[in-house]
Amino acid sequence: MTSAGTPSDTIVQEITVRAPAARVFEAFTNPDERVQWWSAPGRFRTTSVASDLRPGGRWVMRGTRADGEPFMIQGEYRVVEPPSVVEFTWLPDWQPDATESLIRVEFTEIDGGTRVRLTHSGLTTERSRTGHRGWPQILGYLKDYAERG
Amino acid sequence: MVTSQAARNAVFRAIADPTRREILKHLRGRRRTVGELASKFTQSRPAISKHLRLLRSAGLVVTHERGAARLCELNAAPLRAVDAWLRDYEAFWTESLRHLKRHVEEHR
Repeated sequence: MTSAGTPSDTIVQEITVRAPAARVFEAFTNPDERVQWWSAPGRFRTTSVASDLRPGGRWVMRGTRADGEPFMIQGEYRVVEPPSVVEFTWLPDWQPDATESLIRVEFTEIDGGTRVRLTHSGLTTERSRTGHRGWPQILGYLKDYAERG
Repeated sequence: MVTSQAARNAVFRAIADPTRREILKHLRGRRRTVGELASKFTQSRPAISKHLRLLRSAGLVVTHERGAARLCELNAAPLRAVDAWLRDYEAFWTESLRHLKRHVEEHR
């Protein structure tokens, strides 16, 4: 489901949900609902979600990994425009050198439902204001390497 | 390829720094001596050597002795670990959105 033409450190996923955008936006952003669907059997289970849904508000999600270890992901809302857009930062606690990445979720009503488009960007660049785009270039090195055999 | 978490973390740490990414860029397609590399930067040579040590420990740079000079070469193979990590995230989001869909369509 990755779209073509996006930078290599950006993940884009889409799905269509048979419900109005307001309903899908609510399910995505309401912590009492998010805790119900945001688990992956066999990988992790979410046990609590706290969320202050406004630009600058914080959110935190806690749970248990498959190996029984606790995990936490937190971030800050950047854009909150119900029922169309929510954008927030993402900082997991299991990667010692992780930097904040950014998630943008767009909800667009289409015939018979809502298209949810999630873009996760900045996964491998430092939290900086330099605008340095490291990852696409670095992936180029890997391509060179692989093609050289 | 089996990659330990420690090895993967070392790669992440290595590429998180703009100077180190710049060093990798200069090594793309050709070997360079430490002196040649240092001349491309305003930082001191010891500072560049320190960055090179970190890149070597992450496996992204290998060095060869040539007389008195030391030649640095890019080794991109460890980046595969980071590429695999990105693909994991992709799977994570695919699964999460499916769960969101099921949740909403079952609880109207």
